[in-house]
Amino acid sequence: MTQEIQFRIKRQDSPDASSYWEEFRMPYAPAHNVVSALMYLREHPVNAQGQKVQPVAWECNCMEEVCGACTMIVNGVPKQACAALIDDLEQPIVLEPLSKFPVMRDLQIDRQKMFDALLKVKAWIEIGGGHDIHRHAPLISPDEQDVRYHFSRCMTCGCCMEACPQFHQESKFIGPAPLAQVRLHNSHPTGVYNKTERLHAIMEEGGLTDCGNAQNCVKVCPKDIPLTTAIGELGRQTTAQWFRDLFSK
Amino acid sequence: MSDSLNVHFLSRKIHSLTGVVPVGAFLAFHLWENSMSRFGGDFFNEHVVRGIEHLLNYKLAIESFLIAVILFHGIYGIVIWWQGKSNTSRYQNGSNVRYLLQRLTAFTTFAFILWHVWSTRVAGGMDPKIGADLFSHMQRIFADPINVALYIVGIAGATYHLANGLWLAAINWGLTTHPRAQKFCLYACAGVFAATTFLGLHALWGFNHRFF
Repeated sequence: MTQEIQFRIKRQDSPDASSYWEEFRMPYAPAHNVVSALMYLREHPVNAQGQKVQPVAWECNCMEEVCGACTMIVNGVPKQACAALIDDLEQPIVLEPLSKFPVMRDLQIDRQKMFDALLKVKAWIEIGGGHDIHRHAPLISPDEQDVRYHFSRCMTCGCCMEACPQFHQESKFIGPAPLAQVRLHNSHPTGVYNKTERLHAIMEEGGLTDCGNAQNCVKVCPKDIPLTTAIGELGRQTTAQWFRDLFSK
Repeated sequence: MSDSLNVHFLSRKIHSLTGVVPVGAFLAFHLWENSMSRFGGDFFNEHVVRGIEHLLNYKLAIESFLIAVILFHGIYGIVIWWQGKSNTSRYQNGSNVRYLLQRLTAFTTFAFILWHVWSTRVAGGMDPKIGADLFSHMQRIFADPINVALYIVGIAGATYHLANGLWLAAINWGLTTHPRAQKFCLYACAGVFAATTFLGLHALWGFNHRFF
C-alpha cells in the first residue's frame, strides 16, 4: 500500500484571479475520502515543495452524498468528494472545481445558477392555495412511487450540468436537473395544478429544446436519476402543451 | 400572438421537423432515384432525369421550397451549434460522440450540397448540353477519384445526419422516452443509415464501375 497520498489541485485565489496547479502530499491512512484528506491538508497547509500556503478552500456539508455541496471534479469525473474514497482512486489524485460555474476560490463554486433554475421551473408543490392539497395522502401506485423516488433524490449537485455540452457559463440552458424536477412535480397529484406554468417555463429559450441529447447527464448522475427519460417525457408534454396553447388561448 | 405561438419553441420544432420532412424525405428519394444509374445512360437520362421532370409538376415551386427549407434548417442549425461546447475528450459515451458527429456532418453536408447543386443542377440548367445528358456529365465528374472520395464523404455525412437526426427527432417529439425505446430506435436508425448509404454508393457505382 502506498505510504502517502498525493494530490494535484487546481487552485484559484479569488473569483477574478487566474488558476494554477499545486501539488500536495500527506501520509497515508486507511479509509480516507477526498473531503477527509482535504481536512488533513487544511490542518497542514504545506505544498509538495514544503512551502506553507493558504489552505485549499472547498465546501462540504452532509458527508453522505446527499447534499451535493462537495461536488468537484475528481480525476476527471464530476462527483461528490465525500463519497470519493482515496483507496479507489488513482494517484496523484487530481482535483478541479466544476468548470461550468463561476469559481469563488479553489474548489468552491457559485451554485446560484442552479437554484435560479429551480425557481424558474417552480420545482415545488403549492400548498398555500384554496385548492385541495390532498391532506389525506393521495393514492399513488408503488411503481409510480418508485419512479418518483428516483427523481426526488436529486440534490442539485451539478454533475449533470458539468458533463452537458449544452450547459456552460455563456449558455442559457438550465440543464438536466431542473428539467427532471419538472417531470417529478408535474406528476404529483397536487403539483399537477402548476403543470402548465412549469411547461411554459421550459418551453422558453434555455429550456427543454436546448437539450442536445448527448446524454452525458444520465451517465454521470451520482443518484442514477433517469434524466434522459424525463427529457423524453417532457418532449411529449411540451409538444402537447404547444398545441393546447395554440388552440385554446 | 407571440405569446401563444412561442416562437423559440416553434423554431426548434420546425428545425426538427424540416430535417425529417421534406429534407430527409427528399434525400432518401434522391438516392433512390440515382441508384437507378446502374441501368445505364439511356435509361437514366430518359426515365430518371426526364421522368422527374414530369413527376415534379410545379418544379420551380418545389425547388424554391426545398432551397428555402434547407437554408432555414442549415442557418438555424448554426445557431444551435454555437450554443454547445462539445466535450468528447472527457466524456466518450456513444451518444456524446454522435452529438459531435451530428454537428460535423451538418457542416460537411451543407458544403457538399452547395458544391453538388452547383456542379449538377446549376451546370445542367446553364448548359443545355449537360442537361440533355446528365449521365455522361456525372461520369465525367466521377472519372476523377478525388471527386469520388468527396462524394462518398458527402453522401455518408448526409445519410448519417439524417439517420441520427431521426433518432433525435424521436426524442424531441416525445416518441421515445425510455432508454430501451431509445436503444431500439437507435438500431432502426442505424438501419436507415446503412440502407441510404448503400443506395448512395450504388448510385456512384452505376456511374463509374472502376472504383467499386
